[in-house]
Amino acid sequence: MTGPLVPNEILTAEAGLIFALVAGLLFGFFLERAGLGSARKLTAIFYLQDFAVLRVMFTAVIVGAVGLLLLERVGLLDADLLAIPPTYLWPQAAGGFLIGLGFVIGGY
Amino acid sequence: MIEPDNPLAEKSAYWSPYAAGLGIGLTLLLTYYVMGHGVGASRAYTQIAAKLLEIEAPAHAQGNTYLSGYLALGSLWRSWIVIEMLGVFLGGLLGALSARRFRFQIERGPKIAELDRLVFALLGGVLVGFGSRLAQGCTSGQALSGGAVLALGSWLFTLSFFLGGYLFAWLVRREWQ
Repeated sequence: MTGPLVPNEILTAEAGLIFALVAGLLFGFFLERAGLGSARKLTAIFYLQDFAVLRVMFTAVIVGAVGLLLLERVGLLDADLLAIPPTYLWPQAAGGFLIGLGFVIGGY
Repeated sequence: MIEPDNPLAEKSAYWSPYAAGLGIGLTLLLTYYVMGHGVGASRAYTQIAAKLLEIEAPAHAQGNTYLSGYLALGSLWRSWIVIEMLGVFLGGLLGALSARRFRFQIERGPKIAELDRLVFALLGGVLVGFGSRLAQGCTSGQALSGGAVLALGSWLFTLSFFLGGYLFAWLVRREWQ
């Protein structure tokens, strides 16, 4: 089955909505198990006390990126159908900066 | 009641960050494989805000170019990201309950009063909310999902996120230490 399954109409949009709950459950569970349910742990990286955020985040990004590459290479995924976040350099730079500020102000 | 783990303690019951990161990475991969897009968070808040405004002031909500786009789905139960965030809440709850660290508390550092902690949390939340709409995503939609598909703007977002966090943390570090 060549993915992505919903855009390729192998699964319906309704099935996609049910999958949303599954994806969220997994995402929330692993985030909590990583300790990222704790605002203190989330911000500790900015005080150089605990690098869990960085480790979790980049492990996930690398697993995702390599996995996507492999799925595409073996023909299980049509990469042209993937939604790539569009590039708006200044809004993305400013937004990221504000979120960094917000984490530090809101987190401890 | 069980003493909560110190979130920063070496021997806390949390998983290895690499194991948890692997789990999140596989979840992200599965989401791309099924949906063609990654995971997110912040847009669910906008979706719900648009809906609340529509209930309270329908004409105003429909007349707002930005928010009316969020109303096209109709019911919130048609919104992928709202359902996903419900899952995140339940998944987190399940994780905390099964690890026996579920507890009602205002988590805070040793030097800050409870009320101050809440005021700062609100202030930080406003900044995160505004920033994530400006960037069209937060640490989930941009850093994680955009990062995995090597989107240029998402990597710029991630760099700016750490820059903003480290700069401000350096300025206020004495408050917390």
